[in-house]
Amino acid sequence: MSTVSENYVPGHAAAAPQAGAVKLTMVLSGAVFALMMVFGLLMRAAQGQWIDLDAALFYQLLTAHGAGMVGTAALSGAAIMWYFCGRHLVLSGGIFWAFLGLFLLGVVLILGAIFIGGYGGAWTFLFPLPALSGGAWEAGAAAAFMLGYTAIGVGFLLYYLELGRRIHARYGSLVRALGWNLILGREDNDPPPPAIVAAAAVTIFNSIGIILGAAVLVASLVHLLVPGFEVDALLAKNLIYFFGHVFINASIYMAVTAVYEILPEYTGKPWKSNRLFAIAWNAVLIFVMAVYWHHLLQDVVMPPWMLVVGQLVSYFSGIPLIAVTAFSTFLYVRGSKMTWDLASSLLVLSVAGWSVGSVPASIDGMISVNKVMHNTMWVPGHFHTYLLLGEVAMAFGFMAWLVRGKTISQMDGLDRAAFVTYLAGAAGFVTVFLFSGAASIPRRWAVHYEEWLAHDRIGTLFGGLVVLGTLVFVLRFAARLGRREG
Amino acid sequence: MKMTVLALLAAAEAIALRQAAEASPIQHVLVQMPLLVLAGVLISWDMRGRRVWAVPLLLTALTAFLFWMLPRSVDWALTPAGETAKYLSLPLLLGVPLRLSWPWLAPVLRGFLKANALSMLGVLGFLYTHAPLRICNSYLVSAQQDLGFAFLQLAVVLACIWAVPVLFGHPRWLPSGSAGCSKCGA
Repeated sequence: MSTVSENYVPGHAAAAPQAGAVKLTMVLSGAVFALMMVFGLLMRAAQGQWIDLDAALFYQLLTAHGAGMVGTAALSGAAIMWYFCGRHLVLSGGIFWAFLGLFLLGVVLILGAIFIGGYGGAWTFLFPLPALSGGAWEAGAAAAFMLGYTAIGVGFLLYYLELGRRIHARYGSLVRALGWNLILGREDNDPPPPAIVAAAAVTIFNSIGIILGAAVLVASLVHLLVPGFEVDALLAKNLIYFFGHVFINASIYMAVTAVYEILPEYTGKPWKSNRLFAIAWNAVLIFVMAVYWHHLLQDVVMPPWMLVVGQLVSYFSGIPLIAVTAFSTFLYVRGSKMTWDLASSLLVLSVAGWSVGSVPASIDGMISVNKVMHNTMWVPGHFHTYLLLGEVAMAFGFMAWLVRGKTISQMDGLDRAAFVTYLAGAAGFVTVFLFSGAASIPRRWAVHYEEWLAHDRIGTLFGGLVVLGTLVFVLRFAARLGRREG
Repeated sequence: MKMTVLALLAAAEAIALRQAAEASPIQHVLVQMPLLVLAGVLISWDMRGRRVWAVPLLLTALTAFLFWMLPRSVDWALTPAGETAKYLSLPLLLGVPLRLSWPWLAPVLRGFLKANALSMLGVLGFLYTHAPLRICNSYLVSAQQDLGFAFLQLAVVLACIWAVPVLFGHPRWLPSGSAGCSKCGA
């Protein structure tokens, strides 16, 4: 057992800015994560023919699961980054509440569109599917779904505008906050800490993504309301995947600030920005926007050079992550005699899971592989790896740290059981997905052949373990929220 | 005085573009109309607006902006009545209120309006380049498509203009963009 003060002296006031708003956001995030995992479990059980699920309901659950998980990953990531940026910047609480209010408004619209309007066109709302339901839903349901996205997008835009302007006010420019002085070897008496470097990069690329996403959302809305107005399908797909890819990646890049700010409490070594770190984050800024073409490798009408860039950047985009965050985490942890409690265990696991998840992503980013693998379970396998074992683990680690108090203790029996259950469940769950992909089992099918049922059923069992572990994490967090620090 | 002369010059240039506006939607929507708005901004450059007026003035400006965004309004602006309305409303109901309200707006709201302008230019570009019919009866489909591409180009230019000071810091030779305006009292 140790205390924070024994082994870590923060270089800044470790204040708890707007901790109430952040804790409420994390409670909501945890609850929605658990609910969406139950939706996922229902879908896997239905594919394994253990339960009977109407196909229309399956696609509604698929849509809710996709939109809900992406949205909640982003919400929890945003709360984490806001919390840690608040240690270095003075942020407006009103903006965070407006962000949360708009997010919840979006959730209401999306849930209404799906479970009242029957919308089941997947979270990607690819043109022209929302308008071509074959009678499964009305245009109004698809419009409500897109208005929900628009509300969430406006909330995030306000969030990034506030963050961006505060970073600009504190550091004079975003490039300084991105560590350009470190890169260029210029003297800087007040170099940006890792959380600010990450925040500056995410603010830039996710703002661009949201602005382009808003354009395609409104154009799709116009098409829904006035069907005569066609939208160029290929341009729409490019914009949607740019927005979607950037948005989901941003959720991880926001949540990783928890690793930068919390792990030093355990290792006793502050995590500082240096030249390599700044170069890596500047590379991330470019790569995350240039890599989205790997989602369009099967669109043969795309210019070939774009697809080649998509493949090459898929290889390169793993390097900054693995070379800097994962390798640095290894160095920080090695020989530090840190205490392994639930928070530190989940945070280290999250970096490992994120890094491992980039491997199947890079494999699917190869044009020759993508031709046969893209529409298989391989793809949910890779993104569940870096979400379940990456972003979601970061969020749960942050939640465990928020209610930890000042004393750092080894995990007790329940924490250890929950951690092992979650780790075993998630690792098994994603491995089954990857095996299913390698066996050419298609993704997004509500009804599976007999030959595929073994995969689905094993996946369901592992999914059950994930839900169990998650319930313990979330209930433990909620129960300890009101407890006094000790 | 200098600003008044510049305002008159902008208005005169807009009126001189009357024929060109009839021939090309780009000249109409992206040159003549912005010149009229600019005339309104310049004529009110040294006026002082009050904080309590900021929201009503902004709403007035946005309402005028929304009205003139409609393709039907663009068509109407080529008729005698519409032309008169355009020459009066764009400077007085869009340019002047925007200038008087802008210094009082919170930075986040200004950023939101700019980001929304970029998104809407993208939407207009989307629609004008792919509309299956003539949106404005006064112009050819090919001219309409040119206007759509011009909207997209304008979005890129504005994005660069607005992003550069944020990315690289505010140039010292420019007046402060976010700290209000001493002349107008903000």
